[in-house]
Amino acid sequence: MVENNYEFDVVYKDKYTTLSYNEELSMVICTADSEYIPIGEFKKVFLYVSEFANSSKISYFVFDKRNLRTFHQPSMEWYFAIWKPILKMKGLVNHYKILPELPWFSKAVEAGKHEIFQRYGNNLLDGINITYINSIEELLEKFRKVG
Amino acid sequence: MEDISYYLEELEAKDDMLARTTNYLSQIQSSIIEKNLHLNELQKGISDSINFAKLIQTSLLPDVSILKVFFKDAAFKIFQKIGIGGDTVFIKNTNSGVVFCLLDASGHGVSGSMLSISGTLILNDIISSIEIDDPAVILKFLNYRLHQTFKNDKNSIANFDGTVFCYSSINNRLSYSSARGKGFLIDSRNDIISLENTKVSIGENLNSNFNTCNISFEKGNKLILFTDGLIDQFGGDHNKKYSTSRLKKLLSNNTGKTASELTEIISDEYLSWKGDGSQTDDVSFKVIEF
Repeated sequence: MVENNYEFDVVYKDKYTTLSYNEELSMVICTADSEYIPIGEFKKVFLYVSEFANSSKISYFVFDKRNLRTFHQPSMEWYFAIWKPILKMKGLVNHYKILPELPWFSKAVEAGKHEIFQRYGNNLLDGINITYINSIEELLEKFRKVG
Repeated sequence: MEDISYYLEELEAKDDMLARTTNYLSQIQSSIIEKNLHLNELQKGISDSINFAKLIQTSLLPDVSILKVFFKDAAFKIFQKIGIGGDTVFIKNTNSGVVFCLLDASGHGVSGSMLSISGTLILNDIISSIEIDDPAVILKFLNYRLHQTFKNDKNSIANFDGTVFCYSSINNRLSYSSARGKGFLIDSRNDIISLENTKVSIGENLNSNFNTCNISFEKGNKLILFTDGLIDQFGGDHNKKYSTSRLKKLLSNNTGKTASELTEIISDEYLSWKGDGSQTDDVSFKVIEF
């Protein structure tokens, strides 16, 4: 697939998600393709990313949640408290997120993150950069300007 | 097509998301309610304190009837920005007549009121201690005492704008000295004459000199003193400053009124000009009819 003149290779795909990778940018885009991802499938794809990081450099990870309509707290807790710190040790510290344009979904994310930080402490994501963006095009445009 | 377990899990996840989000929003709501209660308590405390301070400041204002012993009529009004403030009126009998002035302390609100009360007490002390019939000397003393009391060389916190008048009933002589004070005399031809002033505040510079001017007045002439809050008030149809020219026009349209009537007219005009807008500064004015 081609995003903004950058060629991305699909490295993983199932019913719920697609993973695409651009070597030049060292960027993985994880696109949610369904309204809900069961926790088992969710862990499967993110563990795949973790393995993929052993063989390929990942400096930027984009999680495109625009198709999601359910924020599953246990999945997110695992994603924040387990997966992100592991990937941080592998050098991935730059995360970008795209949320659906739904205020109630944003509020659900806020509620979920609040609960996670209360449980694990506010320094849980120290050293990890999380940026909310509106689209992949917008992000790649920034890379183009920098590059 | 997903199997039924997928939809059941999704439904459960949605229920969970809704419950957690509702709980989170309830926590925020409770926190806002708690903060509002705290703010209301704080506001009540501040409000009670200001109301009591207003009572104190108002009780220190002089009795205008002292001036009516010497002049045909006199009246004043003070609109402090938050109930208390830096504008104040001073009137005190002397052996030969009366000393009166309108003062505008730097700042407004709590700090302004503290300064205006202190200034009034210092002024009262000066006039009670020695018989001075030269208003410029009174300003010079006040200037010195403000410097001494508030260490103005270091901080320059206590400044006043205003005009001091000394009236001697022995020789029917009225003189004044003004430090950035504002005022008019309406003479027998209904001309509105601006009072002269020194362009330095009292307390601003230890070495300041102030000038004494004599006023020749006739029966029926009026003296109008006011602070800059009156002419600086924003309002009207185009939210502009009230300005000196509008005040002069108001006065020239009401030259036949008594001091008390004119005070009410200025007051009504000021409130009408301000309308629902916020008060720009402390406002006060005093009218004396000879």
